[in-house]
Amino acid sequence: MRQAVSIISSRLFQLIIIVLILSFATFILMKITPGDPVRALLKVDDVISTTEDKERVMEEYGFDKPILVQYVQWLWNVAQLDLGESIISKRPVLEIILDKLPATVALSVGGVIALFVIAVPLGVIGAVYEGKWPDYISRWFAILGASIPSFWLGLLLIYFFSLKWNLLPVMGKGTLAHFVLPSITLGIAMAPLYIKLLRERLVSTLQSTYIESAYARGLGRGRILLFHALRGSLIPLVTMFGLSIGSLLGGITVIEILFSWPGMGEMIVQAVMQRDYPLIQGYIMVVGVLVVMTNLIVDLLYLLIDPQIRHGREIS
Amino acid sequence: MKSKKSWVFSIFIVMLLIISGCSSGNEKEISKESTDKSVTMLFSFASKTMDPHQDWMGVRAGVAETLVRIDENLEIQPWLAEAWEKKDEKTWTFKIREGVTFHDGSPVDGEAVKASFERVLETNEAISSSLKIESMEADGQEITFVNTEEYPAFLSELVHTNTSIVKADAENMGEQPVATGPFKVTSFTSETEVNLERYEDYWDGVAKLDQVKIKFNSDGNVRALALQSGEADIAYHLPPESLEPIESNNKLRVESVPSLRVHFLLYNNANPALQDVDVRKALDLLVNRPVAVEEIMNGHATEAAGPFNPNFAFASETEPTSYDPEKAEELLKEAGYKKNADGKMERDGEVLTLKLATYPGRPELPLLAQYLQGEAASVGVNIEIVTIENIDSYLWEQQDEWDMVTYSNLTAPRGDGGYFLNVAYLPDGALNPGQINIPELNKLTQQLNTTADPEKRMELQKKAVNVIRKEVPHSFILHPHIIVGVNDRVKDWEPGSEEYYLITNKMDVK
Repeated sequence: MRQAVSIISSRLFQLIIIVLILSFATFILMKITPGDPVRALLKVDDVISTTEDKERVMEEYGFDKPILVQYVQWLWNVAQLDLGESIISKRPVLEIILDKLPATVALSVGGVIALFVIAVPLGVIGAVYEGKWPDYISRWFAILGASIPSFWLGLLLIYFFSLKWNLLPVMGKGTLAHFVLPSITLGIAMAPLYIKLLRERLVSTLQSTYIESAYARGLGRGRILLFHALRGSLIPLVTMFGLSIGSLLGGITVIEILFSWPGMGEMIVQAVMQRDYPLIQGYIMVVGVLVVMTNLIVDLLYLLIDPQIRHGREIS
Repeated sequence: MKSKKSWVFSIFIVMLLIISGCSSGNEKEISKESTDKSVTMLFSFASKTMDPHQDWMGVRAGVAETLVRIDENLEIQPWLAEAWEKKDEKTWTFKIREGVTFHDGSPVDGEAVKASFERVLETNEAISSSLKIESMEADGQEITFVNTEEYPAFLSELVHTNTSIVKADAENMGEQPVATGPFKVTSFTSETEVNLERYEDYWDGVAKLDQVKIKFNSDGNVRALALQSGEADIAYHLPPESLEPIESNNKLRVESVPSLRVHFLLYNNANPALQDVDVRKALDLLVNRPVAVEEIMNGHATEAAGPFNPNFAFASETEPTSYDPEKAEELLKEAGYKKNADGKMERDGEVLTLKLATYPGRPELPLLAQYLQGEAASVGVNIEIVTIENIDSYLWEQQDEWDMVTYSNLTAPRGDGGYFLNVAYLPDGALNPGQINIPELNKLTQQLNTTADPEKRMELQKKAVNVIRKEVPHSFILHPHIIVGVNDRVKDWEPGSEEYYLITNKMDVK
C-alpha cells in the first residue's frame, strides 16, 4: 500500500513536469512552423478578403502578441481548467475532445485485444517450435507486420473482407462488426515487437531450471507453458504496452481516418491543417495525461500480477 | 497437450462468434434497405458541425436553403426569395416565398429571415465581412438589407451556403439545425456521419426518399471500395485510378462534370524575368493542355481557356492556348534570350532558371509541375521544382523564394466572377501572393464592384477575362472534373458543378 501511494505521488509530480514541458514545446513549435489560422478563419478560398482583414483578425485573436505572452495566457487559462475554444468551430476544446475520446479509447481497446490475440499465439508458437517451420512463419509474420503501412493493410483488409467476401462493413462505427477490421489493422501494426519480445522471453524461460523441475515433477507440457512459462513472460509485454501507448495513440489516427472512425483522428488532422492552435494544444495535453496515466496503471498492475517485483523493490 | 488444444479451440470459437455477429448485422442492414426508400452518400470532406452558418453540409444535405441559388446552368435563380429589387445603390428588398415552413412547422417570414442573418453575422467572421450588411428591416414577407457601401455582388454572395435561412433560436444548431430543406437531421456524429429523414411539409414538393445517410471518409480508395461493396450508393470525389472496376460493373456508373475549380500556374511578379509578358506567354505556350487532361487527369478534366468554368456566360470565349514550343522559343528570343552552347536560354550571361513550387495536397499538381519541367527543358528553360507541404504560408512568407507555383482555386463558386477578380488580382487580394498589379484589370474590377446591372457585370467580367488572357498573370491549365460513382438504383439525380445542393427532393431509387 505504501508503495502504491509513493508510485502515485511520484507519477503525479511527473505529470505536472511533463505537461509543462510538453505544452511549452508544442506551443513554440506550432508558432514557428509556417501556416497561420487566419486564412482558415477568413475562408480566403471561399469569400472575398483582403490583407487588411487579415491584420484585423490577427489582432482580434491576439496572434500579433509575442509568443511568450500568448503561452502564459494559455497556461493561466489551463490552470483554471479552461482549455479555451476552437478558433475554427468556436466550440470548447475540452467538449470537442471529450466527444471524440471514447471512440478512440474503444478502438485502442479493440486494437490491444487484437494485438494480444495475434501476438500471444504467434510468440508462443515461435518459442515452442524454435528453429522449426512454425517459428519461421511467426517470424515472417512479424517482419511483414512491421513493414506494411497501416493504411495499405487497412485497404487490403477492406478489399477482401468487405468487398470480396462481404463479411464485414467497410467503415463506420455501430455494431461489433465495425470494430473488427480497424482493430485487426491496429493489432497487426503493433504486433511485431510484441511477438519478438514474447518469443525471446519464452525461449529463455523454457530453458530455465524451474521449468526443468516442473517437467521433472511430471507436469504436462501444455500446463507448464500456460501456467508457468507464459505468465512470467507476459510481464515485459505489459511494460512494453505502457511504453507504446503514446505511439499507439499516434498510429491510430491513420486507421481512424481510413475507417471513418469517429475518434480524434480526423479532428486532429483537420486541426493541424487549419492551425487551430487551442484544439491542437488541448489534444496534446489530453494525450500526454493519458500516456502518463496509463503508465501509472501499468506500474500499479505490476504490484498486482507479480508480487516478486514488490518484494524485490521493498528489499532494495 | 489437451489444454493447448482447448486453448486453440477457444480462440477459434471467439473468432467465429465475432464473424457471425458481424454477418448478421450486415443482413439486417441490407433487408432494411430493401423496404425503405433510402440512399447512402459518401462524401470526402468531413463536417465538424451541421450548423448551416458554419459548414456547407447543411445545404449539401438538403437540410437548409438559401434565399437565391445557382441552377444547373450556373445562373442565379430565386429560391426562398421569389423576387428581389434593388431600391437604390445600397438597398435591396427581397420577397420571401409564401408557404415555406421551418422543420418545426413555423412559417418563414421577414422577421425569421432577419433573425437568421443576425445570427450568421454574429457567428461567422468571414461571411459577416463578405456580406457588408449595415442594417436590416423585416416587414411581413419582405426583408430589406442596407449595405455599408455600394455592393452589387451582394446578390451572388447570398448564394453562399453559410447564408442559409435557419430558425435562429433553435437549440443544438450544430447537430439538429431547424431549417427549411426537404430533409431534416435525425442524428449527426461529427466528422463521421449524418442521418436524415424527409420533411413532410417541404414547400417544393415532399422528397421521394424516406431517408438519407451521408457518411464522411477522406480516403478516396475507401470511398471507391464502399461503392463497390454496396455500402454506399453515391461516392463523391473518386480518384481517377480507382474508376476501372466501377466502370466495368454494370450496376454502377461514373458521372464526371467540370467543376468550378481551375488548376493553374501563378507567376511571381517580383521576378524581373517574369515581369516580361513575353516570358509569361512563352511559358503559357509550353503548357500542353490536352496531354495534361488525358494523361494526368485520365480524361476527367476540361482544358481551361481562362479562370472560369466554360459554362459560365462570362467565361472566356477564346480557345485554350495551344501547345507551341517553337512559338515559345520565338517569344523568348524576342524577350532577349539566346540559346547558349549548352542549348540553354540565356540573357546577359544568365540562364533562364525558374523555381516552381508545388504541393502534394492535390496529387495531380506535382505531376503537372514535372511535366512542365520537361517541356521547358526542351526549349532550354530550367525549372527547379520544390514541393511544399504548407503552400500558402510559403507563398506569402517567402515571396522572394519562388517564381511560379502550381495552384488551384474555386473561381466563381457563387455564379459571379467578382470573387476571383477581387482576391486574385487586386494588389491587396487575399489570393495574390504573386503581387499581380495590372492597372487595366484593377480598374475593371473596381468598376465591377460598383455595377449592379447583370448585363453590364457580364460585360465587365468578359473584358477582365480578356485582359487576363492578354497579360497572362496566370496560365490556366484545366478544370478538374468532379468524379462521382453512383449505384444504378439511384435515379433522377446527377452531380452539379457547384457542389451545393447534393441531396434533393427529386432524387429517387428504383
